[in-house]
Amino acid sequence: MIAPLLFVVLLQAGSKPAPQSAGERAALLAQAENAMKSGNRADAKRLFGTAAERYHSVTALMQLARLESEEGHGTAAMRALREARTLAPNSEDVLTAFSEVSLKMQAPVSAILTLEALTRMYPDEPRHPYLLGVALMRVGDVVAAIEPLRKANALEPDRPLTLLALGLAYNSRKEYSEARPLLRRALDLEPENADTMAALAEAESGVGDLASAEHDAARAMQRAPANATANFVIGVVRMAQERYAEARDALLAAAVADPASPKSEYQLSLVYARLGDQAASDEHRTLYERKLRAIEQAVAALHAPATGGVAR
Amino acid sequence: MIGRVALSIVAAALALAPSHSPAAPELLFRDIAAQAGLTFRHHAAPEKKYIVESMSGGVAMFDYDNDGLPDLYFVDSLTVDTATHPELARSALYRNLGAGRFEDVTEKSGLAHPGWGMGVCTADVDGDGWEDVYVTALGGSHLYHNNHDGTFADVTSAAGVGVPGWPAGCGFADYDHDGRLDLFVSRYVKIDLAHLPEFGKDKTCQYRGIAVQCGPRGLPGESDVLFHNDGNGHFTDVSEKAGVSDPRGYFGLGVAWFDANGDGWPDLYVANDSTPNFLYLNQKDGTFKESAFPWGVAVSEDGAEQGGMGVALGDYDHTGRQSIFVTNFSEEYNDLYHHDGDHFTDVSFRSRTAPVSLPFVGWGDAFLDYDNDTWPDILVVNGHVYPQMDQARFGASAGYRQRKLLFHNKGDGTFDEVAARYGAVLTDEHVSRGLAVGDLDNDGRIDVAINDLDGAPQLLHNEIAERGNWLIVALKGVAPNTGAIGAEITVTTPTGPRTAVVQSGASYISQNDKRQHFGLGTATEAQISVKWPDGRVSTQSNVKANQVVTIQQPAKSK
Repeated sequence: MIAPLLFVVLLQAGSKPAPQSAGERAALLAQAENAMKSGNRADAKRLFGTAAERYHSVTALMQLARLESEEGHGTAAMRALREARTLAPNSEDVLTAFSEVSLKMQAPVSAILTLEALTRMYPDEPRHPYLLGVALMRVGDVVAAIEPLRKANALEPDRPLTLLALGLAYNSRKEYSEARPLLRRALDLEPENADTMAALAEAESGVGDLASAEHDAARAMQRAPANATANFVIGVVRMAQERYAEARDALLAAAVADPASPKSEYQLSLVYARLGDQAASDEHRTLYERKLRAIEQAVAALHAPATGGVAR
Repeated sequence: MIGRVALSIVAAALALAPSHSPAAPELLFRDIAAQAGLTFRHHAAPEKKYIVESMSGGVAMFDYDNDGLPDLYFVDSLTVDTATHPELARSALYRNLGAGRFEDVTEKSGLAHPGWGMGVCTADVDGDGWEDVYVTALGGSHLYHNNHDGTFADVTSAAGVGVPGWPAGCGFADYDHDGRLDLFVSRYVKIDLAHLPEFGKDKTCQYRGIAVQCGPRGLPGESDVLFHNDGNGHFTDVSEKAGVSDPRGYFGLGVAWFDANGDGWPDLYVANDSTPNFLYLNQKDGTFKESAFPWGVAVSEDGAEQGGMGVALGDYDHTGRQSIFVTNFSEEYNDLYHHDGDHFTDVSFRSRTAPVSLPFVGWGDAFLDYDNDTWPDILVVNGHVYPQMDQARFGASAGYRQRKLLFHNKGDGTFDEVAARYGAVLTDEHVSRGLAVGDLDNDGRIDVAINDLDGAPQLLHNEIAERGNWLIVALKGVAPNTGAIGAEITVTTPTGPRTAVVQSGASYISQNDKRQHFGLGTATEAQISVKWPDGRVSTQSNVKANQVVTIQQPAKSK
């Protein structure tokens, strides 16, 4: 599962401003826009609300949804977007906004269904398959995420975020040799991106190139010392080098940076066993099992309605 | 006109172009099942609506008549529809006549109808010098005593080893050093044929949106069983006392007994489907301590519980220690756990055995030095559990029928997957389950028997031309463990030592030839060292290559 912070970055990259309309209601909308620009969000919300109520303005509803979403009022944002979707059920912008807010509200199933429709309706638009891929990764269906991400990459080659998402998806599937060139390219395009460096390090570790993995993970940690993936890779490399105390420290940092992930806890149970600390080993095994069960339950809950469940 | 000119230019260009036809596959294995006389057919329901119809069956390569040629036994299964008619499943025993010919001796042997058969393991249970057969079967396993005349007697009741429920894997070992062979039986899922989970009904009966058989997740698992051999033809269930009963009911399949921690006592590894695997370390007092997690062999390297099926042991890097290779479900990867002395390390990706395994559901597996270069290679047979996969291919998984994987050991800790080099015999797609290896014709090239679900078996005769020298080592132990099960054989050549273990029960619920095959490369002689189950060591030096060597365990001095 991708780290939550990285997910937000991937998601924000899919945003696009809403369109404007004209006429009498345009004046009201302009007034609202001005209020928003001047930082008077309460007035902006009131004016957009009026425009939506009085003129059934889809634009107003979308702007209102954006403001509500930015303020963390997901339910209000979704309410506005549902209204907009009723008024303009085939609008690319409305559906896109609906899917984006759904994702932000941890409602990826709604987002997936909408994005699947958008991908079919607008087959040349790379943003939709990109977001669909990210949404599928969000529910843990990395297998299904690959195809839309590949499509997005084909429609808009050399977009670093798409390359990163695709690389992460391949890493999750342990197809490290597929991930590695994509992540190298992403890093060529964005040489200072610590997330990409860490993902590349994971791919390098996966193909057995521990020297490169260590190098890139260290570079990532210079820029983002708490990066979970980079710390995990360093931990795995130190394990292979039998430098167990250093492995322990890196894995502890990885566990703190990504507290929901069981894999650092599992490796910590191994490293403490190597260090002869059976009590700590057992403790981290318990944490590993607890986190594993939590993820399984979350994935099962999200997965079943979206893709028909998991037999194994 | 322009078209004709263009065509003639293309034709001329083609005529001038050098030929690039793909290289013809090299000959390694030839499937001789039909010409050898193997008419066995494994039975399973075509749609595999229930998990019980997907998991059989094992194959044994063992010398039941002590003529020096390994014979073959294939386990058959029933279906939900034929469950009350055990005569409809016919497991088959084939006597090896030599020269690539086999005779069906099933009816005479009495091994035809063990019921809904799953797996098989063999051992000389009573120390009379003849191999007995244990067949795991849904609803009750069977122990068949070898009568020395080509017949077997079902002694299950007298022995007390008729494990109910769903036994799957099995293996004999002398876990308490009393000289007698004890028996471990893994069990899979608790299932009631009268109340089977409905195909495709629950969320655990769906796979990527298509209806499939239910389980194992979502179904209750079965505990495992350890029987102590009392020495009077009877065994006693000591599972709980010994600490190997698996009270949580993990889904047990493949079994491997071996001395994991080098203390001279047999330990036990169990591959569990969709749950962590077990490594039971022998405490030398009749009990075991489950240690798979601290030893690093329970789950994948990122902590994922995998669908463990088959288990193979091999000293693939000449350390003298047995590393473990475990086959798993698709979109997981097969594990290679390298033995580092006091723990194991998952080197699946570093060894390059993992990536290519991701699309396949792996079952039978073995380390085998197919080209006698001294480095044990790995063979894996595959095949999905859901025939419905072919209607809706999703994601990274291959279809229902799947090819084999052959990993060539490069001698540096890494492997190349080379099945395609050897053509259709390895790349044709099957739904395989059990796999057993051994040299069927004593020509120094290791052969393979495969039990395919719902079909004919494969018998892969090794006919590789360029190969190294070899030795086959057969051990004669002191009674009652006449097969020297648990002994470790080390063959040393100028390129280094390699160790193998004599095992009862291996691969996916199957039995390999207990004689151990060693490739010697260019070496023309070798030293053979045997660490017998009682801990004593005997050594033979300057053993000439290219022969079957039989070594007798020295009697204990009084």
